Amino acid sequence: MIKHHPKHELLTAFVAGELPAALNIAISAHVEMCEQCQHALAALTEAKAEEVFSVEDFSVFESLNSDLADELDELMIANITSQKGEYTDELVDVRSVDYAGKQVVLPRALNSVDWAKFQGVGKLSRARLDLDEGSVRSYLLQIAAGGSVPMHTHKGYEVTVLLDGTFEDEMCTYNKGDFIWLDESFTHSPVSNNGCLCLTVADDAPVFTEGLSKLLNPIGRFIY
Amino acid sequence: MLQTSNGTMNQSQVENKRSMLTPEQSAELKKWLIAVALKRDKQAFAFLFKSFAPKIKSFGYKQFNSEALASDLLQETMSLVWRKAHLYNADKGAVTTWVYTIMRNLSFDMLRKMQTSKEDCLSDDIWPIVDAHAADSDTEAFSDHLLKQQLAKYADALPEAQKQVVHGMYFNELTQEELAHQLNIPLGTVKSRLRLALGKLKQQMEKNS
Repeated sequence: MIKHHPKHELLTAFVAGELPAALNIAISAHVEMCEQCQHALAALTEAKAEEVFSVEDFSVFESLNSDLADELDELMIANITSQKGEYTDELVDVRSVDYAGKQVVLPRALNSVDWAKFQGVGKLSRARLDLDEGSVRSYLLQIAAGGSVPMHTHKGYEVTVLLDGTFEDEMCTYNKGDFIWLDESFTHSPVSNNGCLCLTVADDAPVFTEGLSKLLNPIGRFIY
Repeated sequence: MLQTSNGTMNQSQVENKRSMLTPEQSAELKKWLIAVALKRDKQAFAFLFKSFAPKIKSFGYKQFNSEALASDLLQETMSLVWRKAHLYNADKGAVTTWVYTIMRNLSFDMLRKMQTSKEDCLSDDIWPIVDAHAADSDTEAFSDHLLKQQLAKYADALPEAQKQVVHGMYFNELTQEELAHQLNIPLGTVKSRLRLALGKLKQQMEKNS
């Protein structure tokens, strides 16, 4: 049962297309698994479309029969309608990842994204998504059964979408589909007793890794 | 669950939210889009174009701060409206929502191209236009979705006249009477084309299952 959802403001920004790709992918992944958010999203999109295409400028309803049509518009219309219609959507490929001896089907939002090889330390293993968004970093993260992430906090935000399995922290137990948003007001140390696969997105503030040497503190580089 | 299906919920939400366009205007947009889907009706497309163009341009201008790019967005959006009209599903929502989704997706990919070194087009997987999200995410709905896609493929391969009828009935949810009116053919012809088409589809499905 999914208990953690993106906030209303976040869904609104998602609908408006205002978020970085990584956050969009995380929200889309959650929505694909969450019927409640599918309904919320349908309503928000409907409302946003109404707002963007509000009636005042629906010029056709006033000028439909006047001959004021812009010549450029006419050219563009002629150009478009000279194309063949009948766009055929291809069947969407399903992608999956192998972890803990099983195959987990990934959310559709990851379909056109590349990621690096999984690299691990102890029971943690992650693959960085190749999204090229500067300070916003996103990973597929596996925690093997009994694995945990040491106590840490966050500069900026950290989003986790649980794609498979469960994990716990000091606050609660999280299940498949949960969308977890944390910021610097939280300190936690997630533990996964039975293992899990997550999608994580963090706005990795520079101060976070400053002075951390990859060699001396591999775990430090590991915390999202 | 309060609702029995997505359909009823969405329908009532649509009714509540539709404060900006009158129901008559929304119906008009739908009529034009369906005419494009069924008959590649250029006049209906021109009406759609003129309805949406000013808003798409101003949306694009806000996004890109460039007239040229706003005009690109208009051209790309309306091209997809032309080419994908037959994929519009009246059951899933208003024409404005459908066009908005196409425009927002294109705009997102254009912005991403400008801001990163990436040429990937992520938007249609983030916000699917052929609506995988609206379906329940359980396996039954999933296989139903696949079946639908397969059916759509077979339907695409039908002779033009039969395809029109199948699309009108099952994708645009028109009644046989409405279809006869839209296509300007007798009701009996609609019925016989439909019978032929369904026979062929059935054959195809049996052959491939």
